[in-house]
Amino acid sequence: MRALDAVRRANMPGPPENSIRFRVACLGTVLASIASCASVDEVSRPTAVAATALVSGGMFFSHLTRTRPPGWIKVVVAAGAMAAFVWFFHSLTSAVVITTIDSPLGLLLISVLVVHSFHVPSRRDLLFSLAASAGLMAVAGAQAIDLSFGLYVVAWACFGLWGLTEMWTSSSGGGRISVAGLVCALAAMSAAAAAVFLVLPAPVVASRVSFLAQAGAGGSVGVPGALAGDTGSPAQLSRAGSQSSPIRVGGYLGFAGSLNTALRGNLATTLVMQVRAQRPSYWVGETFDTWNGESWTESRGGSRPLRETSPFALPIPVGDVPLGQSDLQTFYVANATADLVFHAESAEELWFPTSKVFYSDDGTIVSPIGLGSGSVYTVESQVTTPTPAMLRSDSSAQTLLPETQAQYGQLPHAYPRVLALAQSITAGDTTTYDKVQSLIDWVGAHTHYSLDIPPLPAGADTVDEFLFGNRVGFCEQISTSLAVMLRSLGIPAREAVGYVPGGYDPITDLWQVHADDAHAWVQVWFPGYGWQDFDPTAVVPPSNPSPGATALKDVAGALRRVPWVPVVAVLAGAGLVVAVVRLRRARPATWAARVARDAERAGRRAGRPRRPSETLVEYAATLDELAGSGTTWGRLASSVEASAYGGREPSPEAQRAMVAEARSTRVRRPVGAGVRD
Amino acid sequence: MSRWARPARPVAPIAVALMIIATWWLVAHNGGSGWVQFLGDLVFGALFIGIFGPWVVVTSAKVAVRSAPADGVAGMPVELRVRAGTRLRIRPVEPPGIEVFVGPVGRKGSVDDLVTLVPVRRGVRGTVTLDIASAAPFALQWWTRRVQLPLPSLLHVSPRSGRPRPPSTSPREDVGEVRNRPRTDAGLPRGARPYVSGDSRRLVHWQATAHAGKLMVRELEQPSAAPVTITVDLPDDPEEAERIAEGALGTVTQLLEGGGPVLLDTLEPSGRVLAPVADRRGAGRRLARAVARAGGAEAT
Repeated sequence: MRALDAVRRANMPGPPENSIRFRVACLGTVLASIASCASVDEVSRPTAVAATALVSGGMFFSHLTRTRPPGWIKVVVAAGAMAAFVWFFHSLTSAVVITTIDSPLGLLLISVLVVHSFHVPSRRDLLFSLAASAGLMAVAGAQAIDLSFGLYVVAWACFGLWGLTEMWTSSSGGGRISVAGLVCALAAMSAAAAAVFLVLPAPVVASRVSFLAQAGAGGSVGVPGALAGDTGSPAQLSRAGSQSSPIRVGGYLGFAGSLNTALRGNLATTLVMQVRAQRPSYWVGETFDTWNGESWTESRGGSRPLRETSPFALPIPVGDVPLGQSDLQTFYVANATADLVFHAESAEELWFPTSKVFYSDDGTIVSPIGLGSGSVYTVESQVTTPTPAMLRSDSSAQTLLPETQAQYGQLPHAYPRVLALAQSITAGDTTTYDKVQSLIDWVGAHTHYSLDIPPLPAGADTVDEFLFGNRVGFCEQISTSLAVMLRSLGIPAREAVGYVPGGYDPITDLWQVHADDAHAWVQVWFPGYGWQDFDPTAVVPPSNPSPGATALKDVAGALRRVPWVPVVAVLAGAGLVVAVVRLRRARPATWAARVARDAERAGRRAGRPRRPSETLVEYAATLDELAGSGTTWGRLASSVEASAYGGREPSPEAQRAMVAEARSTRVRRPVGAGVRD
Repeated sequence: MSRWARPARPVAPIAVALMIIATWWLVAHNGGSGWVQFLGDLVFGALFIGIFGPWVVVTSAKVAVRSAPADGVAGMPVELRVRAGTRLRIRPVEPPGIEVFVGPVGRKGSVDDLVTLVPVRRGVRGTVTLDIASAAPFALQWWTRRVQLPLPSLLHVSPRSGRPRPPSTSPREDVGEVRNRPRTDAGLPRGARPYVSGDSRRLVHWQATAHAGKLMVRELEQPSAAPVTITVDLPDDPEEAERIAEGALGTVTQLLEGGGPVLLDTLEPSGRVLAPVADRRGAGRRLARAVARAGGAEAT
């Protein structure tokens, strides 16, 4: 009985909510959340439009019937909600493969909001609408991958805060928060939210919940399995790469069948992709094993197709030891990139929007379709993260096959100078790891990074030129030099190209990979841990750094990372609020003050400002005298003084008439007369 | 009185808020979505301010009693004019009263509002105890604080006027004598003098006023009737004391209406007081100040 009473109490209708503003604010939050769902394609546009119309109509109906809701409406609302839940669970259980519940969840919430909007008579019901809209925003936010979603968040938050303050106004019989109080509340709210934002750890990628794979607008590639990237030519280097140019991958020349280390594209700054990952990694695209003195090529002999249904179980790459931590990454392609499937090292499973991908023994994955904007795929990798001590004490007896050892130890010719240099650098080192580190340290201490270097002479060896020339170069030359030095010492190494993790966006929890994040680094084979990444470029200082140019670049980079749309929207909103407040404060509070202000304005325009010692009546007499006809100002001033000092208030109509008359009455400066003072 | 506010029925709102935040964060954290976590942080901020913001409002609220009547009657409403700088819900505690919202409507400054007290018993009150509450800015959680505010002037709450009981000293003769006794303001006129504050309006001498051009009153000889002394001994039991005081007031009122002089003998905090009372208000004040005498019985 107690539970029954509690249910009965909970179902007792609350007092009708009469505040139209509160209702409109709640309607705004619901509509903002529906729009946000539509913006991330959680629901279709027609569905969103229909839901918007129904919710608006429902809220209007609820307001009209708030005091005496019809008896049948509760039954209809309950039946509608039940039907929505039945549909939701049916859509979940009938799906062959459940990849995500997001879309049905969004539709469920929208359906509940639509049905509920027809029976929102009381404050408690409106509060439910607010809370449900927050849930709908969360569903939309789960799909949002860029900062433009912030516009919807701002709109929803503004409506929500307005609704909450109106709820206080309604429940307190007219109490309103002062502007200062509102600012303090907002500041405290932002501080609390920011504190939680700073304290809480970043979200982690859910395991076994959502494996996104979606084809985008990339179109088709010429030859399936071949790489769409361009090896480039010197003529192309003067311009930044773009989607439409032959160098369609943002200007980087390495996402192709070969990597010419003498050429460096002018990388664009466009966003290539966003990555949601459990940890940052180098997003490897492909590796090269064959070095000819100027370019890297791959000798894997082409990719072979993997014909499975998604997810693809990827073979273990040659030499890899997939014993690391599972790392799930989802790639959201923002702009057309190479048809390489970028991933963290040692990918073992791939969710991809095709029934076929191309795979090479070195772990390179090639898409059969162009990866354009909107493409999404998910990769699970087994990332080995050994510590330096572990690598140093690696005593595994595993060895590469002789042909593989030869493949990754290949050199086009003898490098006696390079060998001598490498041996001298690693003279005291006994382990592979120490040798690699010594070489990296040497490279960092003796070379410089610059993109502005003269082209190599024809037929020159890049490594010789770099190590024994001016020792200035970019990442391809630096990493190639390390790889060649390692190979000369008999250590298996290869060149890898891809992207560095990019900048982390704490709002979206995504790694933002831009075209100029394209990079080349070295992978070294360790018997117990497989291929390990080493990036010598990271320790190489820039060549002749220019403070001004560096500062400008930093500023430009910082400005580029600013989410301009939300920032500008917030600033514009704040500016508008300040302007309105200032305007309202500057406006005279009473009709008498308005008339007095207009009189002084008219006098100023006529060259006769009011003296501090003058009463308004005296000043008005002067203005009438200046005008030369009538006693308009005198009459108005008398009324003002009668109101201010005599307490004789004219009727509202008379007040409005006097204000209008004061506004329209002009005092012309007499022709030929000087300024009366 | 508490300097700090305390939440009104806080368990459900705080528990629900914590549950929402924990669930939200778990979903966001394991869902790997930064926007969901960001939205959750915003919701947390709103809930935090909604729940704890009223504490700041109530703790820093400035409330003052601007005016209060000097007299009231137990069981009858007494209106105080209260000024509050922010919108507050006020519930009078001692004396009890009617819950009401005070403070500015809209964003204006401090305004005065009426707060109605309904004192249960007689007494003299220099302060009033109020529960002030607010849920600003979001009306998600109410916080209350008990404040004791000084009244601008003492509030004398007289007892209700109970059933009059005839004086016990001279039963029959006094009854007739009281009823036929001449009014105190109808003694033998001795002359006229200018009006001074406190003179009864019944003593205004209109002819002399018209003649002199200023308000004149009659000067009378001593009233001919002998005063009746009402002795009020109140017991410790407040209910019983209230009943006796009500009876005493009824008796005094009846005697005054009969026109006879009345002496009221009460025990006040300052000691025993035997003094005439001129009207019902004076009697009410005396009885409001009266305290219990050890072993006291009732009015005689």
